[in-house]
Amino acid sequence: MSNTDLVISISDLHKSYGQLDVLKGVTLNAKRGEVVSLIGSSGSGKSTLLRCANLLETPQQGDIVFKGEPVAWKGAGEARRPADTSQVLRIRTNLSMVFQQFNLWSHMTILQNVMEAPHSVLGRPKEDVKMAALAYLEKVGITEKADSYPAHLSGGQQQRAAIARALCMEPEALLFDEPTSALDPELEQEVIQVIKSLAKEGRTMLIVTHDMRLAWDVSDHVVFLNKGLIEEEGAPDDVFGHPKSERLQQFLKSTLAA
Amino acid sequence: MEELKRFLIFSFCSEPETLGNLQWLSCYLTTIKHSELYKSVFVVLLLLAITAPVSLMFGFGGAMAARSRIWVINGFGRLYIAIVRGVPDIAFFMFFVIALDQALEWLRHHTLCPDWSDAIWQGNDFVVCPEAKMPLSAASQWVHNSYSFALAILTFSIVFGAFAANVLFGAMRAVPGAQIETADAYGMTRRQTFWRIIVPQMWVYALPGLSNLWMILIKATPLLFLLGIEDIVYWARELGGSKTAKFTSYPHGDLRMWYFLALLVFYLAFTRISEIVLDRLMARLTFGQAITGGDSQRAGKT
Ligand SMILES: Nc1ncnc2c1ncn2[C@@H]1O[C@H](COP(=O)(O)OP(=O)(O)OP(=O)(O)O)[C@@H](O)[C@H]1O
Ligand SMILES: [Mg+2]
Repeated sequence: MSNTDLVISISDLHKSYGQLDVLKGVTLNAKRGEVVSLIGSSGSGKSTLLRCANLLETPQQGDIVFKGEPVAWKGAGEARRPADTSQVLRIRTNLSMVFQQFNLWSHMTILQNVMEAPHSVLGRPKEDVKMAALAYLEKVGITEKADSYPAHLSGGQQQRAAIARALCMEPEALLFDEPTSALDPELEQEVIQVIKSLAKEGRTMLIVTHDMRLAWDVSDHVVFLNKGLIEEEGAPDDVFGHPKSERLQQFLKSTLAA
Repeated sequence: MEELKRFLIFSFCSEPETLGNLQWLSCYLTTIKHSELYKSVFVVLLLLAITAPVSLMFGFGGAMAARSRIWVINGFGRLYIAIVRGVPDIAFFMFFVIALDQALEWLRHHTLCPDWSDAIWQGNDFVVCPEAKMPLSAASQWVHNSYSFALAILTFSIVFGAFAANVLFGAMRAVPGAQIETADAYGMTRRQTFWRIIVPQMWVYALPGLSNLWMILIKATPLLFLLGIEDIVYWARELGGSKTAKFTSYPHGDLRMWYFLALLVFYLAFTRISEIVLDRLMARLTFGQAITGGDSQRAGKT
């Protein structure tokens, strides 16, 4: 496996907020075309890990390598910061995030939301971006809402729009932070269908989820995070079918019971 | 008598003593003195029309400065907001206008009359050479009026600009963090986030405060007389006071109550119209950007 087959490579990541150690040495790789799911109980550090991956948070220790290019740091410990702003922007535009609460920009229509970053950040010509945006909106099935504002859409529609926004960046990988947790069960399915179709297309994805069914169905690799450390990981059939650690067994029992 | 001249010519006005009520009133209300009252209404409206956008610009600049990461600019922005907020309007008006006026004259004095030997401060008097006077003593009345009007606009704009800066600064911070973080996640720079996300979204949060300021600004216009400008209230008192036949062809008792009633109606109508316009603006702004949507996004920040 050559280095560039790894889209994201995170090694020995430590992150704390003041006294609270949230990540205590996490190593995680996502190869091109791979779907990696992160599961774990609330507060185990899943969102934090995802946010470190696109540098919304700065880890105090550990390395992040994006497509063979290590993130440059300056300072150490609490004062550690990425050294190269343009590198940060480059990585962020290549790892598009989908949030639990959708976070569509509320003053823009759906179409404007999808077109915004490709046009203003990547500088792609407006006409091209519009064509692409409309195509992605069609793909997620909300073409007819293109000119509506986010507040006038259902949660499921908003999340599909947010996925279209992420796709329109033509990123190397998609990062999902509990994309279905804020949705009613019926609306969950429409978003899950979209995520499944993306997995089939061979997109690289990092998915934080509470939905074990989804993780089992779409993942190539499942990572169980517990108290800031990886407790167990492997193929979904192993992790879900034959959990080895006691904690994972407990976790699965409690989530399946819920 | 000067009052016999009028700006509207009604031929029947030559002998007011003989006229019936309605004609008397139309003659009375069109004397030159009354035209001053109408002019002062115009001056108030002009002041509002210029001050409002200029203070908004000052406010925007102040709020931007207060957000700056460069400490000099940041300090300046915060100081601007703090000083004007902490000092009573009237004190600031008096102080600022005199200070600005004297600063200008001082500068001109030093450039125009370098050979002047007398001290500028003689006891409590501020004396500059005649060439440095702002405006020149010989200048026409028109120049004097424009100069004090310009000073008035500047003072109002600086004071209300600071209030506006405070409102806008708060509004910028009220934009939900999740909206800004998403912009970060999509690679926007700080500047792009500011112009493309924060500024368009802040108006919903700023408008209630700005409307409030606009109302206060309307009500503050009588402060103009402090700056030597004869405003509506001044003329209402002047014209309303009782007049005997000795001084005018339109003798009347104390009409001040009626004048002030008219003023009251003027200001009330004006604020009411403003309210209606601002409500419409708010409705339009909130149409897409339903605040409830913004709130749920903020609450959901993980
Ligand atoms: N900005 C922050 N400041 C301080 N503490 C934080 C911050 N963000 C997260 N934390 C803490 O870090 C821990 C891990 O948070 P994180 O959001 O990564 O958990 P999670 O696994 O995503 O949980 P959930 O399933 O509830 O989303 C929590 O205890 C949380 O309170
Ligand atoms: Mg989370």
